[in-house]
Amino acid sequence: MFKKNAVAAGMAAFASVALTAGCAVADGSKGSDVDITAMSADELAEHLIFETDSFRDQEMQEGGDWRDRMTQDDLQKACSLKGDPDGETAGQVVAMARASYEAPESIELGDWRKGAELADSGYGYRQGHRTDDHSQREAGGNCYNCHVFDPRVSDQGTVGPSLQNYGANRGTSEAVLRYVHEVISNPHQYFPCTQMPRFNSDRHQLLSDEQISHIMAYLLDPESPVNNQ
Amino acid sequence: MFKKALLALPVAMAVGATAQAGEWQDPNDVLQQFLQENPDSAYLHQSEMNIMMMPDNPALWLVDEGEDLFYAQRGPNNVSLEGCDFGKGPGELDGAYVELPRYFEDTGKVMDFEMRLVHCMKELQGFTSDDAAVARRHGSGSDIMKLTTFIAHQSSGMAWNPPLDHPQEQAMRDAGEKLFYRRGGAMDFNCASCHGDVGKQIRASVLPHVGAGPEWSKAVSWPAHRAGHDNVRSQNHRIRGCVWQMRHAGIKADTPVNTALISYWNDQARGEPAILPDLKR
Ligand code: HEC
Ligand code: HEC
Repeated sequence: MFKKNAVAAGMAAFASVALTAGCAVADGSKGSDVDITAMSADELAEHLIFETDSFRDQEMQEGGDWRDRMTQDDLQKACSLKGDPDGETAGQVVAMARASYEAPESIELGDWRKGAELADSGYGYRQGHRTDDHSQREAGGNCYNCHVFDPRVSDQGTVGPSLQNYGANRGTSEAVLRYVHEVISNPHQYFPCTQMPRFNSDRHQLLSDEQISHIMAYLLDPESPVNNQ
Repeated sequence: MFKKALLALPVAMAVGATAQAGEWQDPNDVLQQFLQENPDSAYLHQSEMNIMMMPDNPALWLVDEGEDLFYAQRGPNNVSLEGCDFGKGPGELDGAYVELPRYFEDTGKVMDFEMRLVHCMKELQGFTSDDAAVARRHGSGSDIMKLTTFIAHQSSGMAWNPPLDHPQEQAMRDAGEKLFYRRGGAMDFNCASCHGDVGKQIRASVLPHVGAGPEWSKAVSWPAHRAGHDNVRSQNHRIRGCVWQMRHAGIKADTPVNTALISYWNDQARGEPAILPDLKR
């Protein structure tokens, strides 16, 4: 599941800093030998993450360890911005996202009831004092945290646009199906550096194709409550 | 006793404090001022209930207990925390909390409040990491939260003013800014994914926007009683919760990543009075 290709590059650059650092002490009592004022802010941020024992040494649900989880891929690096990307960055991010997207041969809508559950579930991939156990419960899509799907359901977020009547307004043509699949898989193809996570990309697959088909049904199926308001 | 007199007359004691910190103000007075001056802030006005409860904020109950703990002779070395220097001299607490994190000569590094408190409990009082006094970080019943609430309360109403004179202080603040905007983890989040816009909502919570004056001052005003948890929580507890939601790796208490984030977020509230302790959803 975990795709390592894009990861790891970022680490190498900071390994040398880490070596000269010796052991950076993080027990709150002693200083370290590292001269943090000699580093750039970016270098220091990476140093703090990877060399100061600030994170728990746990296995990640997608495979790999905490270092893999915290190591940025190219898209994450490009989008570590204050505010919106400039034109050039936006173009690069869109290109990166498009290059890594693999379109399925055909796209079918699944079961909107299952899709509603997945869209409403924030379970999955959390680590630390309480770690989500995917063998006990399926990881969801977290969509409700950012989108209103059905105003009759309370407590939905507004970080992203409302998706109510999404299918009613757009229909279920092949082009619409392809677009929605692309957005859920890797939204940076259309919205470079969006806050929305990539749910199926070269970095990792948070939702399977089947799960995506259920969520797409929740959005697009004429029977779905999203389209009956 | 001397210490009781100090607490009973918080306004009087602020007179002697450093000029730029401003005067001690009751946390509810600070909140009321924010509400009046920002009638359109969806964030500040989101919970009528919490605003009504503020004068009886349950976090205030921890202040007295924390004071007793601070002046009590404790730990294997049987000494009080009066020898602890939070940056304004041993035992000087007025305005200390709003001027952290800062560089400490004795440790050669930048420390945030909780790091410094734990440092003193270990070095002065002789507690070890395994002792409950230090090991228990969370919950209103913990020594750490009682001490935190008492000490922070001594800075209520004073302006956030973390020093940036030492190059290490500036470096940690700048790294904290990078960490704030650094996208990563399983869902590509950075802190700005949720705190980068005004008036956005994650489920039922209206989110504070980094750098938005009074909103952000309230946002970083911890310790705070969290009504939903029925417990008083710290800045570190908030960071842990957000990092957990972000699907980054699990963050440990008292570590330099926390210090850098707090250096940045306190800096972003600079000049605004702190609400200490606050009351939150
Ligand atoms: C962290 C917040 C966040 C999460 C979680 C999230 N989204 Fe989004 N989504 C956004 C934002 C923001 C946009 C708007 C794109 C932009 O301008 O950045 C968006 C756009 C979209 C769009 C395109 C809307 C259009 O204009 O055509 C769809 C469809 C969508 N999201 C579906 C989903 C689904 C399904 C999920 C869960 C699997 C999800 N989103 C999870 C934030 C989020
Ligand atoms: C996925 C969304 C999300 C991300 C990303 C996120 N937070 Fe939060 N944050 C929240 C929510 C939701 C709350 C409010 C919870 C509540 O209202 O009870 C919150 C609350 C806060 C508060 C306190 C606000 C208050 O009202 O008192 C601070 C400060 C904060 N976050 C800082 C951060 C920092 C620093 C980061 C990055 C390390 C971060 N957040 C990342 C969702 C997020």
